[in-house]
Amino acid sequence: MNPHAHPPFGHGDDVGRQAKAPRWRGRVRAALRAALLAAAVALAGLFLFPTRSHAGRSCEQARPTAQQVQQGMALAERTSQALDASGARVVLLARAGQDLGPYGLRWSHVGIAYKTDEGPWRVAHKLNQCGTAVAGLYRQGLGEFFLDDPWRYEAAWSVPSPAVQSKLVALLAASPAAGIGRLHTPAYSLVSYAWADRYQQSNQWAIETLALAMAPSTLTDRRQAQAWLRGNGYAPTTLRLGPMTRLGGRMSKANVAFDDHPNEKRFADRIETVTADSVFAWLQRSGLGAAPVTLVP
Amino acid sequence: MNKPLIVSLLAVGAAFAAQAQSEASVALSLVPIASVAGTASVAGAASAVLAVPVALSVGGAVLTVVAVEASVAGTVYLLERASDGARASVRLAGRAAQGSAIAVGTVVTVSVIGSGIVLSAAGEMLAFIPNAIGRALLHNERLM
Repeated sequence: MNPHAHPPFGHGDDVGRQAKAPRWRGRVRAALRAALLAAAVALAGLFLFPTRSHAGRSCEQARPTAQQVQQGMALAERTSQALDASGARVVLLARAGQDLGPYGLRWSHVGIAYKTDEGPWRVAHKLNQCGTAVAGLYRQGLGEFFLDDPWRYEAAWSVPSPAVQSKLVALLAASPAAGIGRLHTPAYSLVSYAWADRYQQSNQWAIETLALAMAPSTLTDRRQAQAWLRGNGYAPTTLRLGPMTRLGGRMSKANVAFDDHPNEKRFADRIETVTADSVFAWLQRSGLGAAPVTLVP
Repeated sequence: MNKPLIVSLLAVGAAFAAQAQSEASVALSLVPIASVAGTASVAGAASAVLAVPVALSVGGAVLTVVAVEASVAGTVYLLERASDGARASVRLAGRAAQGSAIAVGTVVTVSVIGSGIVLSAAGEMLAFIPNAIGRALLHNERLM
């Protein structure tokens, strides 16, 4: 049979011919298998790493809906009122920017929120830039923090102990270069290894900066801050990510990398990274902060 | 009829425009953030709380765009409330007006929330006019 005499997917050309499948059919099947594998890899990556990264939305040019603005601003207003009522000067504030429920996580992103002398609360946090491999430090209002297209319009925060708050206030008062930006690493990976300094994701910056605040004269680099965190009981979340998911994430996202993770952990599907949930648990466990307060309007 | 007031939509302030490359700020730069400036007769009334036009002061009000005029300061939209003809002039500064769906005949709905006024058309966000509470909630600055 001349394979070129029939269209590859023509009707009625399968029955009774399976045993003598022509070579082209094998090639088609191989191509289909490869395509399905690629699709599976990409889907596996997208499952963990949807378009909306945990540090914010991608740079798609979509104007928020009126409802999103109303919900985001309402959450910001209520959060501001609740923070004022708490009497705190500084809190670790989290939002839910994507659904991490399948991983047992509720919050996706944490920043350092503080009350200014003028009155409004501001959030210092790290944001990935348009899904690229770099990130910057920002100071934003609660409106911006919660208008950023969250998965759920909910907020959570932990009030640090008075001693920790005082240390954070002092660091926040310094210039960014001498203060909260000292341990900022622009190179970004959504799942950066908690105990490495090649990349730095948003939550990692927050707690390394907290460590710096606690020992500003003795910590000079991120490794030392991580040692401080480890010494004070911080434990990252271990995400169980199989090779398909890792490959899919790496292939489809510039802001996802795994090469900073130790091989023995990476190839055992153990990805240890800093999550907002693990930060809250640690603050409470260590006594450095109170149990998280959740606000669901 | 109520005296028309100019609502100056300082859509994307310098702080917002400077952050266009950020994930967060790109979304936010598309929210036309507003402030109420008042008309020439009430120039200097910087407080949005004091200068909110009557036409925009009631949630659920429906207005229609009756005129659109480009100016150096931006694009000015004249809105008229369907129920009583009360009017308010709204100015969108340069970048905010780009891509705006507002045109003559557009029906605009007013939503009043604790932090300001949301103007929308068929659910689509047109402008947010923060009051003092809203302004205190908005700030965008890249540090490093």
